[in-house]
Amino acid sequence: MRLLLVEDNVPLADELMAGLQRQGYAVDWLADGRDAVYQGRSEPYDLIILDLGLPGLPGLEVLAQWRAAALAVPVLILTARDSWAERIEGLKAGADDYLAKPFHPEELHLRIQALLRRSHGQANQPTLQAAGLHLDEGRQCVLRDGDEIQLTAAEFRLLRYFMLHPEQILSKSHLAEHLYDGETERDSNVLEVHVNHLRRKLGRSVIETRRGQGYRFGASPA
Amino acid sequence: MRSIQRRLSLGLISVMVIVGVVLAQTSLWLFEAGLQRYLEAGLRNDAENLLVALVRGPNGVQLDEQRLSPAYQRPFSGHYFRIDFADVHWRSRSLWDQELPRLPEAGLKGNLQLGPEGQQLLVLRADYKRFGQSISISVAQDYTPVRESFRLMRQIGLVLGLAALLLVLVLQRLTVRRALRPLETARNQIAQLQQGQRSQLDTQVPLELEPLVAQINHLLAHTEDSLKRSRNALGNLGHALKTPLAVLLSAASSETLKQHPELSKLLRDQLEQVQQRLNRELNRARLAGETLPGALFDCDKELPGLLATLTMIHGEHLDLSYRAAPGLQLPWDREDLLELLGNLLDNACKWADADVRLSVTETEHHYLLAVEDDGPGIPESQRDQVFSRGARLDEQIDGHGLGLGIVRDIVEVWGGVLQLQASELGGLKVLIELPCGRGLAADGGIPVKKQIG
Repeated sequence: MRLLLVEDNVPLADELMAGLQRQGYAVDWLADGRDAVYQGRSEPYDLIILDLGLPGLPGLEVLAQWRAAALAVPVLILTARDSWAERIEGLKAGADDYLAKPFHPEELHLRIQALLRRSHGQANQPTLQAAGLHLDEGRQCVLRDGDEIQLTAAEFRLLRYFMLHPEQILSKSHLAEHLYDGETERDSNVLEVHVNHLRRKLGRSVIETRRGQGYRFGASPA
Repeated sequence: MRSIQRRLSLGLISVMVIVGVVLAQTSLWLFEAGLQRYLEAGLRNDAENLLVALVRGPNGVQLDEQRLSPAYQRPFSGHYFRIDFADVHWRSRSLWDQELPRLPEAGLKGNLQLGPEGQQLLVLRADYKRFGQSISISVAQDYTPVRESFRLMRQIGLVLGLAALLLVLVLQRLTVRRALRPLETARNQIAQLQQGQRSQLDTQVPLELEPLVAQINHLLAHTEDSLKRSRNALGNLGHALKTPLAVLLSAASSETLKQHPELSKLLRDQLEQVQQRLNRELNRARLAGETLPGALFDCDKELPGLLATLTMIHGEHLDLSYRAAPGLQLPWDREDLLELLGNLLDNACKWADADVRLSVTETEHHYLLAVEDDGPGIPESQRDQVFSRGARLDEQIDGHGLGLGIVRDIVEVWGGVLQLQASELGGLKVLIELPCGRGLAADGGIPVKKQIG
């Protein structure tokens, strides 16, 4: 999952980046509203966390420009201005959720999780479910038929993406774009290695390889 | 303050009555004095005629009857004389059996009462010397007809004066009412302002009212402006304080501090307290209260957006609905009311299983806001505690919310009453009764006790 964090307060952004990366998200950080308008539209983000008090361009204006350009990425507004009048304005501008500062990091993580599931049409349950697997995002492990299977951080990130996009053909470059932030070197061989690890832990049939097209998760075994 | 109209009428009446009476009395008096002088000349003439009629006859001095006016012969004709010699006096035949008293000294005297007919006499006494003896001749003339006509004149004058006074009063009243009409218009507009039907006074007013209206408009604009500025400043302050708080909260739950769970808990608890206090006070400071008379909350316009926001925050599983008469407008600041309803509904949504209802109704003296949910509710025995401990209940339920505390603050500022009841839906019903007329907050029932958590 690749996130864009738009926040002008550096210490807060540092804290949030660290927390989000621990949760297995690839995060890009911007501090200026004008940059955010451009980058939000050009990069394939899965979710955007937007502060409203931004230098360059106010957050609501940034959001309005994204929505005017038909950008459908879910946006979570993060702001100290938490009166109901302002919340309504934020949601009218096209936000999907609203979190008032200060907040507990866990609350932000839960909101992001819920928002991601909602945008992929999944019900908001304690675990993420697909193809008979239950992914516990808090503990970063997977449950199958009551057995708990431990995952490495990289495997968890990959499996979560697959489980949010079940039965879809995902190319290697698409996966790389959504699993790594803008500054990481993308090596498709690393992806292959992680896919193989997942197959070893969860069974070969879980991830199907479509030659020349990419991977497909959760396809019913032929 | 007494009415300007009454004050003007009273002043005008007194001035007119005083001036009218003085003027009428003076002119009557002057006229009478002139008339008496004219009559005096006639009387002196009569006296001299009598003197001439005194002739020396065979028995000494006697009166020549031939030369006397016949009016002196007819009894009570209105013309009388009396001639005094040293030892005797003669009277005219017209006096009949009456005595014309001799004036103590020479000159004119009016208002002498005479005889059964009650004639008012004007008497002139003149002293002469003739035939070697001093003779004093008094002539009198009936003055009653003149008096009568004077009285008639005075009565007519009085009636005319009263009529004029009445006419002037009516005209003055009309004029004053006409002149004061802009004031009445301004008063009506201020009433409309109070009800939130307009936000500024009409500036098309007479010259005298212009400064007043301009000043009121300026004050309104100034209040609105300073409210906006202070809200903005509070927003900035909140932003400046809350972002570092968010950093601290995040740091307090970071990996490094996980090794010191007690320290981490202490930090988080303290930060949470700071956060709650900050939110409550900032929200309290943001309240417009009753400073803005032109404020209005349009239910049809605002409520759908609020409910949509709440649905988005709490998820689609909740059925949020509201009931309000079409076109209902509440006379309070939009942001304040959104804050009130937002917090109430947010609280209800946290507890509800599937159903949250808001209803807004207007009665003769109150607006009733009711928020109901189908959650677990609060047992009756604990409802009092909710109030006695201020916002504590809410703080216990949800560490991130403020809910009822802010609602209480707002209701308190508006002079309303907050009640907790059992809902038909099974959960809690929060009923808020707000007084209709602003400034009449005193009769809005028992106000919420002031309490800071």
